[in-house]
Amino acid sequence: MNESLFNKLRILSDAAKYDVSCVSSGVERKNKTVGGIGNASSAGICHAWSSDGRCISLLKILLTNDCIYDCSYCLNRVTNNTERATFTPEEVAELTIQFYRRNYIEGLFLSSAVEKSPDHTMENIYKVLELLRYKYNFWGYVHVKVIPGADPMLVQKAGMLADRMSVNIELPTEKSLRALAPQKKIENIIKPMSVINNEITRTIEDEKFFRSTPRFVPGGQSTQMIIGATPDSDKTILGLSQNLYDRFNMKRVFFSAYIPVISSPNLPAISTMPPLLREHRLYQADWLMRFYYFNCEELFTETDQNLDLDFDPKMMYALRNLNRFPLEINKAPYEELLRIPGLGVKSAQKIVRERKNAQLSYDSLKKMRTVLKRAKYFITVKGKYYGNVKFDPEIIKTELRRMEVQQQLSIYDLI
Amino acid sequence: MDYLYDGTFEGLLTCIYYHYKNEAASGIYEISKYQHSMLNESEVIETDILKASIVSESILKKISREAYVDIYYCYLSFLENKENYILDFLVFAFKYGKNTMNFYTHDKVLPIKEASLKVTREVHRFLGILRFSDIDGILFAKFSPDNDVLLLVVDHFADRYRFEKFLIYDEKRKKAAIYADETWEIKENINIESIEYSEDEAMIQGLWKQYFTDMAIKERKNFNLQFQFVPARYRKNMSEFK
Ligand code: SF4
Repeated sequence: MNESLFNKLRILSDAAKYDVSCVSSGVERKNKTVGGIGNASSAGICHAWSSDGRCISLLKILLTNDCIYDCSYCLNRVTNNTERATFTPEEVAELTIQFYRRNYIEGLFLSSAVEKSPDHTMENIYKVLELLRYKYNFWGYVHVKVIPGADPMLVQKAGMLADRMSVNIELPTEKSLRALAPQKKIENIIKPMSVINNEITRTIEDEKFFRSTPRFVPGGQSTQMIIGATPDSDKTILGLSQNLYDRFNMKRVFFSAYIPVISSPNLPAISTMPPLLREHRLYQADWLMRFYYFNCEELFTETDQNLDLDFDPKMMYALRNLNRFPLEINKAPYEELLRIPGLGVKSAQKIVRERKNAQLSYDSLKKMRTVLKRAKYFITVKGKYYGNVKFDPEIIKTELRRMEVQQQLSIYDLI
Repeated sequence: MDYLYDGTFEGLLTCIYYHYKNEAASGIYEISKYQHSMLNESEVIETDILKASIVSESILKKISREAYVDIYYCYLSFLENKENYILDFLVFAFKYGKNTMNFYTHDKVLPIKEASLKVTREVHRFLGILRFSDIDGILFAKFSPDNDVLLLVVDHFADRYRFEKFLIYDEKRKKAAIYADETWEIKENINIESIEYSEDEAMIQGLWKQYFTDMAIKERKNFNLQFQFVPARYRKNMSEFK
């Protein structure tokens, strides 16, 4: 290791930092190997919080930012004049191990631009995996990006050693892809996704018969979409996510607000603010689909194909469906409790558990640390309504807005 | 009668034993922190492993494992007067038996649950923010947790750094967990002075610090949030904040 490493790390972490698909949770593995280092913790461990308040849990870098492609939304595109750098696979492996030993990180998140060719780059990504797993005997978390267009054999080999893989879909429709990333073909994205999914399914099946079958990407696969670079609606985006969850068993679909870096007739103007609030709403909606039994369709109306920016999607759902509320806290089934705005899975579980003993009162809800700020407009407790305003969507909205202004919440507090 | 114990968990359980078998306790206190008063008589209780295990077994059998873990975690917490919260809780819990932990909001249960949660949270936090450095091939970490969590973090690192040697030092309580050859032990009353880093170690710390600083997205600066996650009191032992 030498001084130039500082420089490479600066360039290649900077180029990777806007990538959002960086969570280490979902894999539980004890360190069992002889001479090995590392385990993976299923709860996910955050190791550091940078000055923007975001959690750092993985060493997130690009192998190289030297790209032969020309995607118009990307700083690394071949026609952009930017400082270039390339790590050797050895450097990446060594850096990962040294950071890991000091408990700075939970593992590695390795992405890359397309240097020379998709196969060449995928090969190098595989080399990093190989070094980590076999030279260093490292069994911590590793997430690698699949380079669209790379040989399926390489994808398969890498998948035997990675914890998670992602093929980025980047843009939600073929039309948008054609406009902004013409060198990327939709088939080249979809094909590796199904290779990964098939392999995952196959190794899970095999495991039933042969105990020693190594799991193919045990953390599953995820993907990422850029939001706001194209005119696609939230309904299109979430519809596609639902599709990906269903078809490819996607673990997560990540959304990343487009940050304008170049002027082009096909792109939003440079002065456009990144749609961070929209990104946040999409995550909230995605969350509802994955953990709260919501269907994509339920979150939109005929006329409204986009999520509301003022109110979170669960709140909007409730306001549009007031006839299903208020719900009685002491009676509503678990799935219904989950539909109460402001009430999370934990609170709903606590309520179900606690009410077995005795009827819950408004006070006992408070003691359980249930946040009732928003929920109170949509519930009754022992038959009594605590919203203290008329049960009318517009009046409730006004109340909520008044509350919000008082608090002066910045959207970053919500993220 | 106030019972005084030596500060160990077994000592505390021995007091509980006496509370039931001899004379009801008006309070349980650690000897070193006890303030004698005119009102209460006090008696020093010798820690007795056998009596303690009778109590712990009946907690497991008559109440629940969850309750046992919560009591233990509460004992490790810095909650003031925790011994008496535990005593009150047990008196209540032995009455309600297996159903006890469902009375989450009851004022005998809530303080124990909350203290235990605080400990769990701090343990989880340190799994992330404990920083090691390589001192001649031995991994060394120093911290000053609010609660006495040393014992609770060792297993995680023993699994993670299974074939390394490491030492985790609680500078507040002057004790350390020492791990080598797949076993560990806790040593009390140790003093570790400041340590010199090798050039390689300094370079890795430098790389990390640079990475840590670069990762922040300038447009999203939010120091308040950062302080919420990593309070100032934890920062002095973290290389990225030095
Ligand atoms: S292939 Fe990836 S790195 Fe290259 S220009 Fe397109 S988005 Fe950027």
